Amino acid sequence: MASIVETCDLTHRYGSNLALDHLNLTIPEGAIFGFIGPNGAGKTTTMRILTTLLLPTSGEARVAGVSVTREPRVVRRLVGFMPDFFGVYDNMKSWEYLDFFGRSYGIPAQQRRRLIGELLDLVDLGHKRDEPVMSLSRGMKQRLSLARAMMHDPRLLILDEPASGLDPRARIELRELLRELRAMGKTIMISSHILSELAEMCTHIGIIERGKLLAAGEVQEILRTMRPHRIIEIRVVSGAARAEELLRTHPDVLELRREGARASTEAEAEPLDDETGPHTLLVDFAGDEHALGDLLALLIAGGVRISHFAEQSSDLEDIFLHVTKGIV
Amino acid sequence: MLELNPILVKDLRSRMRGARAYILLTIYLLILAGVTLLLYAAISGDVGNDLNAGRRIGQTLFFTIATVALIEVCLITPVLTSGSIAGEKERQTYDLLVASLLTPWQIVWGKLVSALAFASLLIVAIVPMMSLSFLFGGVGLTEVLIAIAGLFVTAVLYATIGLFWSAMLQSSLGATGFAIGTVIVLLLGIPFVIVIASLILGSSALSNLLDSVWFIYLSRFVAALHPFIALGTTASHLSSGGNPFFEIVRTGTANVIVPSPWVLFTILALIFSAVLLAASVRLVQPAPSGADRRKRP
Ligand SMILES: Nc1ncnc2c1ncn2[C@@H]1O[C@H](COP(=O)(O)OP(=O)(O)OP(=O)(O)O)[C@@H](O)[C@H]1O
Ligand SMILES: [Mg+2]
Repeated sequence: MASIVETCDLTHRYGSNLALDHLNLTIPEGAIFGFIGPNGAGKTTTMRILTTLLLPTSGEARVAGVSVTREPRVVRRLVGFMPDFFGVYDNMKSWEYLDFFGRSYGIPAQQRRRLIGELLDLVDLGHKRDEPVMSLSRGMKQRLSLARAMMHDPRLLILDEPASGLDPRARIELRELLRELRAMGKTIMISSHILSELAEMCTHIGIIERGKLLAAGEVQEILRTMRPHRIIEIRVVSGAARAEELLRTHPDVLELRREGARASTEAEAEPLDDETGPHTLLVDFAGDEHALGDLLALLIAGGVRISHFAEQSSDLEDIFLHVTKGIV
Repeated sequence: MLELNPILVKDLRSRMRGARAYILLTIYLLILAGVTLLLYAAISGDVGNDLNAGRRIGQTLFFTIATVALIEVCLITPVLTSGSIAGEKERQTYDLLVASLLTPWQIVWGKLVSALAFASLLIVAIVPMMSLSFLFGGVGLTEVLIAIAGLFVTAVLYATIGLFWSAMLQSSLGATGFAIGTVIVLLLGIPFVIVIASLILGSSALSNLLDSVWFIYLSRFVAALHPFIALGTTASHLSSGGNPFFEIVRTGTANVIVPSPWVLFTILALIFSAVLLAASVRLVQPAPSGADRRKRP
């Protein structure tokens, strides 16, 4: 996949405050890229540089191979930007708002008229065409803003915290809308603090803190590699004592816990009794996929009967908290 | 089809849509008419009934209307533009404009022209009143045309002053304050400098300097920075039968030809406007690093 955004040692200072520190970011074309980081991490700064609103102190950023500093006008044609605030004009109707920005991108009158209808329908605001922009609800303004960013049919949409301040339903609608846009072939870069949400809608994520990129890549990849080790959940129907014995001596098992037990030391008190029902063991496992298979085979060969053997799913929340240290 | 400047279309639309524009226009004309009527009532009894009475009334009316209109233009035009770009920043639409394919020049030019369109409306609205003074005689077409031109040039200059502060600052309140401040400093400061300079020169041994060509040019230059002085001296020059475009100053040694004050004012005002316009265009660019102008919400 070709990359649509590429930054190379991108650095930005506000006075003496280092907001971006040699950021190297790549976004493949067609991705929904979630840009995650705590407050003040540099997300907005990065996005403002990519939309040519801010000149970087040093380093280079390219959109579809075009330098944002050398050819800003070409980049502006490629990028649609939705900032983390919504700029309104009083005395302006929804369609006039889109019409004005259509003019600002030099779209001919006829095409503009058609586009306004299509985009208002796309963001589900067709019935608000003649309403003053000021009278729209926050979620509607957000969607109108998205329609505005789409007016010149950009290849890359940069959305700065589009979900903030939206109710759960509006968030779901936004997510659906982004899926639709992706299906239309757009690349979407979206920043957020709401990680669980990004996990569902993004194909790629990047985690930034204090202007440094801590991790980036496909969501699944990140989920896999960012975990230091995995937790395996094993439910033992019989032979629990034997299972514990095998696991405790296994080189890849870092820690063994019984579910419900407070600490691993407590678990060693007495061997598990099969009479007290199936037991669940939690294993902190450092090995890879093969080692995991071997472990299961070992347990079964040892006569342990297992009803459930699975990796505990980890979510982005954990990774985020693990990767960022909350220094900002 | 060639599209009009989007900013111009939008601003004209929103300016003329609200009631504000009409209220402002009404107040402006009411002040003008009120002062004129008061003055007419005051002088019509005094001038007597001789042949020149009508001429004197006509001239007085003309001067009054022109002066009041000039004061109003000086105060209104900078306000028309000072809110323009700063207003976009306040509404948080500024970034959207800069990130669009509009050039900084288009943004600045659209803002200026939409303000000047309204200022022109104010100026054109006084033409019927001025033609009233025609009826009395004593004022020629030349005077009226020069007055209109002078008002228009003043509007251009003071509108670009407002525009400059608007591009410079973040809030329209601040920009308006600075714009009005600049106008007041110019209007009061230039006469002050002239008075001080003439006091110093009048009392010292330098007085033979007064006759030098350079001094004549320099003093004209300073006076021509001030619309009231420039237009006022032009008017008195015209009423004594002078040429509308230049005058001849007799010194002890030679006759010096100087352009009429309003011509000089027009040239200087347009040069300053161009400089301010260029400065505004430069300000409407992505901020160089370290000097970010974004307002944190
Ligand atoms: N206009 C500015 N002037 C000075 N410093 C700024 C400015 N904008 C941002 N910063 C600083 O740059 C750093 C990065 O800010 P940025 O707005 O990019 O963060 P962010 O990741 O978007 O945060 P948030 O999640 O709060 O939106 C912060 O330390 C911030 O204080
Ligand atoms: Mg931000």
